[in-house]
Amino acid sequence: MGLKNINRRGFLKLMGWSGVGATVAGCDMPTTVTLEEGKETVTSYLVPEEYAIPGIGVWYSSTCRQCPAGCGLHGRVREGRILKLEGNPDSPINAGKLCQMGQAGLQGHYNPDRLRTPKVRKDGKLVDITWAEALDLIDQHVGASSGLNGARFAWVSDSVSGHQAMLIDNLMSALGSKNLFIHEVVNSEVARSVNQAVLGDATPRYQIGKAHAILSIGNDFLGTGDSPVHASTEYTEFRSSPRGVLGVVEPKMTLTGANADLWMAIRPGTEGVFALSVANVLATKHKMAIDMLPKAIQTAIMKRNLNEDARLTGVSGNHVIRVAKWLSSNPGRSIVMVGGTAEGQVNGYQNGVAAMVLNVMLGNVGKTIVASHEFPFPQLEHRAGGTAGLLDFVKAIDNGGLDVAFFSGANPVYTAPAALGLKDKLASIPFKVSFTQFDDETSQLADLVLPILSPMEDWATIVPKVQGEEAVISMQQPVMEPLYADTRGLGDIVLDLLKKRDGATYGNYDSYYAYLSQAFASFPANMAADGKAVTWNDALAKGVIAVKTGEKQLKAKLDQVAVALPEENAEYPLTLIPTPRLGLWDGRHANIPWLQEAPDQISKVVWDSWAEIHPNLAKQLGVETGDAIKITSAQGAIDVKVYVFKGIHPDAIAVPLGQGHKGYGRYADGRGVNPLEILDTATVDGTNELALYSTRVKVEKARNKDTLVMMGDHDVQMGRKMVSTVTPDVFELTGGEA
Amino acid sequence: MSLQNLLQDWSRYRRGREEGGFHNYEHMWGMSIDLNLCIGCNACSVACYAENNLAVVGKDKYEKHQAMHWMRIERYWDEPDLGEGRVSEYQQHGASFLPMNCQQCNAATCEPVCPVAATYHTPDGLNAQVYNRCIGSRYCSNNCPYRLRYFNFYSYYEDSWPEPLNLQLNPDLSVRDKGVMEKCTFCIQRIRVAKDKAQREHRVLQDGEFTTACAQTCPTSAIVFGDMLKMYDPNSTNPSSKVIELWEKHQVELGVTEQEKHNPKIRGYRVLEHLNTDPCIMFLDRVREV
Amino acid sequence: MTTDTRDMRNIQEDYSKDINEDIHWAKINEDVLRSMENPRMGYWIAVGVSLFLLSFAVIAEIYQYNTGMGPSNLNWPHMWDLYIATFVFWIGMSHSGTLLSAILHIIKADWRKPIYRFAEAMTTFSLMTAGLFPIIHLGRLWNMYWVIPYYSDRGIWPNFRSPLVWDAFAITTYLTSSALFLFVGMIPDLAICRDNAKGWRKKLYTALSLGWRGDDRQWRNFRKTYLLMACFLIPLAVSVHSIVSADFAMSIMPGWHVTTFPPYFVAGALYSGCAAIITLFILLRYFFRFEEYMTIAILEKTCKLTFAISMVWTYLLFIEFAATWYGPDAVDKELLIGKFTGPYSPLFITMIFLGSILPLTLAFEKFRRNIPMMFVVSLLLNVGMWLERYMIVTPTLSLSYEPFAQNVMWPSWVEWFILLGSFGWFGLLFLVFVKIFPSVSMYEVKEMIFHRRHLANKEIAAVMHRRLDDAEKKPSTTTPEPGLEGA
Repeated sequence: MGLKNINRRGFLKLMGWSGVGATVAGCDMPTTVTLEEGKETVTSYLVPEEYAIPGIGVWYSSTCRQCPAGCGLHGRVREGRILKLEGNPDSPINAGKLCQMGQAGLQGHYNPDRLRTPKVRKDGKLVDITWAEALDLIDQHVGASSGLNGARFAWVSDSVSGHQAMLIDNLMSALGSKNLFIHEVVNSEVARSVNQAVLGDATPRYQIGKAHAILSIGNDFLGTGDSPVHASTEYTEFRSSPRGVLGVVEPKMTLTGANADLWMAIRPGTEGVFALSVANVLATKHKMAIDMLPKAIQTAIMKRNLNEDARLTGVSGNHVIRVAKWLSSNPGRSIVMVGGTAEGQVNGYQNGVAAMVLNVMLGNVGKTIVASHEFPFPQLEHRAGGTAGLLDFVKAIDNGGLDVAFFSGANPVYTAPAALGLKDKLASIPFKVSFTQFDDETSQLADLVLPILSPMEDWATIVPKVQGEEAVISMQQPVMEPLYADTRGLGDIVLDLLKKRDGATYGNYDSYYAYLSQAFASFPANMAADGKAVTWNDALAKGVIAVKTGEKQLKAKLDQVAVALPEENAEYPLTLIPTPRLGLWDGRHANIPWLQEAPDQISKVVWDSWAEIHPNLAKQLGVETGDAIKITSAQGAIDVKVYVFKGIHPDAIAVPLGQGHKGYGRYADGRGVNPLEILDTATVDGTNELALYSTRVKVEKARNKDTLVMMGDHDVQMGRKMVSTVTPDVFELTGGEA
Repeated sequence: MSLQNLLQDWSRYRRGREEGGFHNYEHMWGMSIDLNLCIGCNACSVACYAENNLAVVGKDKYEKHQAMHWMRIERYWDEPDLGEGRVSEYQQHGASFLPMNCQQCNAATCEPVCPVAATYHTPDGLNAQVYNRCIGSRYCSNNCPYRLRYFNFYSYYEDSWPEPLNLQLNPDLSVRDKGVMEKCTFCIQRIRVAKDKAQREHRVLQDGEFTTACAQTCPTSAIVFGDMLKMYDPNSTNPSSKVIELWEKHQVELGVTEQEKHNPKIRGYRVLEHLNTDPCIMFLDRVREV
Repeated sequence: MTTDTRDMRNIQEDYSKDINEDIHWAKINEDVLRSMENPRMGYWIAVGVSLFLLSFAVIAEIYQYNTGMGPSNLNWPHMWDLYIATFVFWIGMSHSGTLLSAILHIIKADWRKPIYRFAEAMTTFSLMTAGLFPIIHLGRLWNMYWVIPYYSDRGIWPNFRSPLVWDAFAITTYLTSSALFLFVGMIPDLAICRDNAKGWRKKLYTALSLGWRGDDRQWRNFRKTYLLMACFLIPLAVSVHSIVSADFAMSIMPGWHVTTFPPYFVAGALYSGCAAIITLFILLRYFFRFEEYMTIAILEKTCKLTFAISMVWTYLLFIEFAATWYGPDAVDKELLIGKFTGPYSPLFITMIFLGSILPLTLAFEKFRRNIPMMFVVSLLLNVGMWLERYMIVTPTLSLSYEPFAQNVMWPSWVEWFILLGSFGWFGLLFLVFVKIFPSVSMYEVKEMIFHRRHLANKEIAAVMHRRLDDAEKKPSTTTPEPGLEGA
């Protein structure tokens, strides 16, 4: 029977026999669940679920929740399963692109270590309870009849935005509490406060694509910045003809530093000196005007001495001159960015101000650095957080204590330096509730652990931390049915709690979904960017809603700059850089096998922690890549293997964030070390942020030797033309038409 | 396999030899990877894991070099000689990143050595690997100068996707068992879907209609994927593509061992081109300011 | 023969004579047949050791079959390692028999006669060992038959361009041919065995001797067949190892893509084969008390032959170095330097020492006559030749074009077990052989003795050689060539 002359009868026969064949084949396999065993319901596809078209992938829009950037997603769903994530081309944040963390969102969702049932701690052990019991328990502690004093309630969360943020706010005010602590380790809070003070706008938009010269002082915008994918898409434009030039000055090479035209290692804490040194060269050598600056700053600039500064910072004067040349030839088309290692110093705030002095001198403010959108719904806006949230939380425990604490998203037990003593202090809180997908360190100390839906199963609205060309609200919709029946969305839970407090307002909403769709039904048409009414289905289909925004202008207001030098410390000569990574981020993705197996961009190490040190330091210690060292700070010590390379200042030692979990699932548990543990608790002067990159340490060779598991065997190309490098003039030979 | 087929194949092969290639291509998929734009962020690699059911092998097997990274980002530290002379104390020009996936060579060295013809050239210009046919002699991998073929040293599926991670597996392609070789396929499952769709709609496959997982996710759009048949065979009715534009602009030609450029400095090269493997992936030189 | 006389003879052994031509033919039969019976304790210990070694391999292979190739430490880019190196090594060993039997037969070197039988057996058995390795090393060995061209209704054929397919053809051809050659050469002896055996042996030998009566016609056909097969086998043996070398030479990798590989491999094969013959020669001489047949004089000749081949091999090795050194391929040169200085350099330098320096001992008569020393030297030569194969396979995988995939890999216990097991397997086959088949060719030793005698007394020889229908000739004019004409 050929395929061409198949008739109905033949077709039926074929179907019949294939069915028999499939059944027989199925019976043969001992692992297959058969109908007889009744372990699985067999569903006929004659009446398929609306979302399941056998064999055909359907794409749903949603929003990535792997970091606070809020990239738009398209998720491919087949037979009811989400299979692949891609960027949403309609999102102005990521324009159809995704980073590795975004790609790996799937493995957070399908993670085998997700919590599946609510658990309560009884006699020190977690035991299963039902949701009804769990909610009753919460009600006992925070309900109207509990007599909870709002000041003795705290909620520690990661960055939130959109309607969840609004609901949480409403719940907080219903409880009479102001203790919502937003905590993120990878943050830009110091730079934001500098921006707020100098420009009057905490999150101005750095238009990387429009710049021709960028000087990044510790800001890893491509890797761990506010919106890495957005920055990367802009980077494409920045590097296209005419090709922009990127200088990066930082103690430890980040992903951005790895892509710099000129990478300069700087002694940690001297970034402000460097910035002023550049300003000095601009003013003296390139005769750039500085009269728009206040007198105090003018003096500060003019008294810098290139050679002296080079000695202080470790960046050679030639490099300062080169950077100054690049910047001076692109006034108004350059950006000086500060972040990461520069802002996480005790003098980080002043480093930020010094960088801003450069931007003002170069006339970048208002050109490449433009005001953020005047977002029309302040209640939905992104709540960025830093370590101040953590410190405030600890302070709240210290000052009078807390009765109830909620944790969602954040994992402060893991991210808090041991010196804060958070672990012990938590014991003083009688009732701790953790809303989490995983058994993280904080949940291990919680009294009630409530498994929440993954971002692939839950509803939300996300307002990105940094907006693109257009301000948007990004929609997060479930792309598949919840994997576990006994998990609930955070929005639903908050709504439930609100209903109990304020039935009149929230009683009408069956669920968070109902609440959201209701909110969109009343979305004012004139608030949409295109002036058309936003329908719920359109919003979901497109994934993003562009909103109408007000105009804002930036106006720089500088006062003074005082760059102090870091203190000498003979006992602890080195500075520890706990490096965030595009991958494991602050440790929240350590349970994702793809990201554990994806080599670190710089060291190419997988599944482990390591310490990056300069060859000079390695020589001094007598170690080479793979040897173990002991890093000791005043707060404790960690043992870690070294990776020796020239992308770090000899006075610095970098240990990546992300590993060293205890618990947090099979992929994260007991792997590597957590450098946050041995951090000092000094704060950045002028802010309440931890000076994350200022901890002084000493190192010594440890005895145990092990290999560092990494991809790749040679660091050099051995004369093969693997990566060929040319100069920009060669680039322009063909670049012009691009 | 009849005598007639044999003779036909032979005559076609002979003609191909004389005219410098095998001439019944339907497509010739190719890539351009701009190292000026590649930031080495690894998104392509993870996207590949997600799309192609790549097994996660774990630390111990990774240490033994038994991992399955079809798309790997190589990172080199050598400083380019840009006429600055002396060696710096620091990594002044950053890192050199090189995304390496199967180069889909037109004169692939892996193909002739496979004893069972499990790897062969498709009419799509792809260097295909037939998992079912592979007996695991691993000769192909030994003969790949780029070392881009990965072998299933274990039944990785037993440990790589504990439930419910297995639900993520892409049903459009198989999960490989121990003893077979695998490598980048240019997301052949996506190619198939797009071709089928175009065929059903009685139209020509358009450039940009679909792309590979790595190219789609690449945050800096450094990877461009498309059909290069028009470049290879000017008489082809396939539409031109962005890849062809890039190859032509950078004066890199398929089917030659040494590129003849008007200006030898012009960017664009193929890795280990002198081995005459005729890869379908062109790299554009990394650029660094002096 | 009594122990006394043998001891006497040992003391008085005449190094100028290949064989004592005074041995009675009946005694030859007696000695050889005796060697096939009543195994001594030593034999059972040898069988035990072989089985023990083999069991290692069986355990390792079962584990590997069930788990995959991972436990062997094979990795990216070390996709081949000990398995292929050992495969080439055993293939090399197999060239001994062909060399002694066929080449020396054609060039009429009759000293080969007492020792060629076991050498031929070695050919067959080392091929049977070698053939296992490409199968063991397959990731999916249950599908190994796919390399054989057979009619399939899917129209799928093996890839005839692949040297691995050529290997499969070459090895199977060589195995059948050498097994046949061994068998054909044994027919007259099997008839002797038949005439002297009882019980199951009688039945076995009756069947195997194919009705050999030793009449003139049979002898003449036998001679022709044997010669023909010898002529056929020589080019075959050369081609087999050339094809094995094609596994490497046809590739694009540095250190493999070498034009001189075919002769180099053939030389290496003959070399290791000869060395192995010396080893087994000494073992058999000792165990079976074959001092009268496997004489020091023959040992010396074998040693000289080995020495000559070792020098050819050394020459070809240095040609390869020179070609690389003066050649244009930088990567190739890098690999050569890497072999001398890299992580594998101790092995590589040991290989050069064992393969090129140590054989110089064979140039000295004093050493050649020292049996214990020759035993050790022959073993070391083969260690060197094994290292040579290992040093062909592994450094190239470790050091090639791609800088990112250049690691050093050491084999795991699985690979070592299988390697050891291969010696057990070979030993077992050989041990079974020597107890079932005559390991010294009785009829040819008789021939040899006869010719030696007739060299002393040509008139007798002439009479003996005269055929019935020959015209009466003067004995002094024609002396039939020894060896080619019937005994």
